[in-house]
Amino acid sequence: MIIRERQKSRIGSIARACRIVGRMNKNDPDNHKSELYHYDMLATYFERLQKAENEKTPIAGHTVFFPIEILYAMDIAPLHTETVTLLTALFMGNPTDYLAAGAELKLAPEICSPHRALAGAYSLGIFPRPDVMLWSNLICDNSAKSGELIAEMNQCPPFFLEHAFGSSTEEIDYLVAEMQDLIAFLEKETGHKMDWNKLSESVERSDRQLQLLNEICELRKAVPSPLYNRAYLESRAADQLFAGQPEATAYLETIRDELKEMVSQKKGAVEPERFRIMTLFIPPMHLVGFLDKSLKSHGAVSVVEPFFTYWEECRLDPSKPLESLAKKYYAAPERRTLYGPLGDETIRTLVNCAREYKVDGAIYYAFIGCRQSNALIKLFKDELNKIDVPVLTLDIDLVDTTVNNESEIQQKMEQFFELLEDR
Amino acid sequence: MSEADKNLTARFPVLERFEETNRSFPKTREILEFKAAGKKVIGWLCTYVPEEVIHAAGALPIRITGYNQEMELEDGTAYLYINNCSFSKSCLQLGLRKEYDFLDGVVGGSTCDGARRLFDLWRYYLKPPFFQVLTVPRKNHERAQELYYHQVAAFKDHLSEYLGVKITDQALLNSVQVYNESRALLQELYDLRKLDQPLITGQETMQVLNASFRMPKEQFNKDLRELIADLKQSNRGFPAKARLMLIGSVMTNPEFIRSIEELGVIVVTDELCTSTRYWSDPVILEGAPGPLQAISRRYLNNFPCARMYPSTERFDRIVKLAKEARVDGIISENIRYCVPYAHDIPLLSERLKEENLPLLTLDVEYGTSGSGQIRTRVQAFLEMVEARK
Repeated sequence: MIIRERQKSRIGSIARACRIVGRMNKNDPDNHKSELYHYDMLATYFERLQKAENEKTPIAGHTVFFPIEILYAMDIAPLHTETVTLLTALFMGNPTDYLAAGAELKLAPEICSPHRALAGAYSLGIFPRPDVMLWSNLICDNSAKSGELIAEMNQCPPFFLEHAFGSSTEEIDYLVAEMQDLIAFLEKETGHKMDWNKLSESVERSDRQLQLLNEICELRKAVPSPLYNRAYLESRAADQLFAGQPEATAYLETIRDELKEMVSQKKGAVEPERFRIMTLFIPPMHLVGFLDKSLKSHGAVSVVEPFFTYWEECRLDPSKPLESLAKKYYAAPERRTLYGPLGDETIRTLVNCAREYKVDGAIYYAFIGCRQSNALIKLFKDELNKIDVPVLTLDIDLVDTTVNNESEIQQKMEQFFELLEDR
Repeated sequence: MSEADKNLTARFPVLERFEETNRSFPKTREILEFKAAGKKVIGWLCTYVPEEVIHAAGALPIRITGYNQEMELEDGTAYLYINNCSFSKSCLQLGLRKEYDFLDGVVGGSTCDGARRLFDLWRYYLKPPFFQVLTVPRKNHERAQELYYHQVAAFKDHLSEYLGVKITDQALLNSVQVYNESRALLQELYDLRKLDQPLITGQETMQVLNASFRMPKEQFNKDLRELIADLKQSNRGFPAKARLMLIGSVMTNPEFIRSIEELGVIVVTDELCTSTRYWSDPVILEGAPGPLQAISRRYLNNFPCARMYPSTERFDRIVKLAKEARVDGIISENIRYCVPYAHDIPLLSERLKEENLPLLTLDVEYGTSGSGQIRTRVQAFLEMVEARK
């Protein structure tokens, strides 16, 4: 398995792009302090990777929902393969190049596009070579399968972290033992030792971050709802890239404070607020601006994303860091739905969210690459229709810009909001 | 069916019986007779579900599969959306249309996204009286063995409680004997495919395999024994211009293999969850603390599906089978949206290249009988394979 002649990775360019976008936002009179912080955080992430590449300190490639608190505590730079691919494609504007390179590797078009694109990006030498490749089966077959190929392409040692399907004590303990094996593997392969004090501090901060995420969710119940539409995507990046790190705490505190202030002033993110929307699954990053504008023009605001930002109540104990991390990943909103098993509790959460957040309608982003999310569209529609919440389904792709037709999406949105208006 | 095929089949009444069973599936005569005797039938999905446990409870384990051929899957697509595999959609549609209404329960494994979602929707919309999804680890180290054993033990207890029967060690040992006998007989059948001129075609073998999980095992074993004896006594033998191996996603339609074999080749071995991955490894009782431990070890260590880690174990076993059967080429049929198999293709292609084994990858829908386009691609592949000889 060949990687094309490796030049210097493009990570430095992406870091610069984040700084530039951040500066542009600074000059925007409508900017939010939290959003400036978001771009600053992204730039820091890529700069850290660039530094690791230049100084030849360990980089760990890893898939989505990986316990990066462990990596930070061992002073290993994490490279979140899916998020970095999406951001890179967004900033560099060349997702089709990555997808074409993925196709050259013989990855079928039915494989989820972020995974085809990330393999393609690696084969093009866009990312720095990881010293180790880590992946898990959270959240789907794609994440469970993609690591082996990336490890082989980069000729680096692999580690597959397995999450059991169910949530019995034995299954949670299984994950804890897997994490112990992961640490032993990292110590052996990178020569970096686990700093248990650092890990405990990280877990303590992760606990704080989960509480902040819950506070943010609570504040969004206000009428009008205070969180600007794209912020829920941005807030997820804090956990994906900086879980347990001071940057994520500072960012989430900034958002929380902004929301508190807006709620006290009875100000909404969209004014006048006409429709309160539940978002199911996620929109593509490259359409966020367009969707933001479109929702705003209809007076619509996303108030809750039950399976994306809505965490289960979960407290972490820094004195038991691995047990706590296992608990955290069991409480993740995406695990409940995308990984399953889909229990009655998950369906109750969906319905309760619709009621508690006074939702007028739901938008389901049907990402063609996500089988487990799309298989729930009918079931969720059936449940939401029982409580008189209409659902709009938009077919999208997270990477492939050629799949998304803005005018078609616009038209469907118009019809949907007309329907809501008539009610 | 061509005249030649009719003649071939007519010589073997067992094959005709198997074909009849498969034609009438899900509601086969054997299943309906079992039900009429007041006994329970449990549907299972995925080869990681230990059938012996169901059998030892006195129930009939029946494999849930989709339609016997490629169908319009309006209901399956409406419920599972367009981007789930046609196997899951086909199974669900049969369920929604009450073709599986005789089932007293269903059991699956957390094997792949398609299967997991199929079971989520099955539970929600069809509300089976007994339902269980086993956690099936993707690794098979000691910790995984322990976890899976406890899953199997919990399944045994749950089923035992539901059926109101005690599943004893003796009953498990009897079931192991019946299932191991079936595995040994299938190995004997497969040995007849390894001959220079195999005694049975690939499409006929698929009829046998399908019947194996659609009727009581004791009856199947008796029939298969008769078939093997008949084959050995026959003066059959299929010369072919190339010997092929079939690998990949779940497949049950013999017509697909027929469409390949009609091109003058013969499929002499396979690596499918309806074939070798279903039957190849026996339960080994020696050294195990008890029959349930032996059963759970066999299922987790069985010929791996593409979902398992590391993939190299699957690749090694494919190469071993290919070499034993002296194949000239390998066809991988991958159902669209069957992600585990699709992900394996880049690394598997490299591996087979190193082994000098040509590979053709076909993207298909579950139940396909082989379109003109598929035949064209197979023909081109065969030309390449023949040129290498």
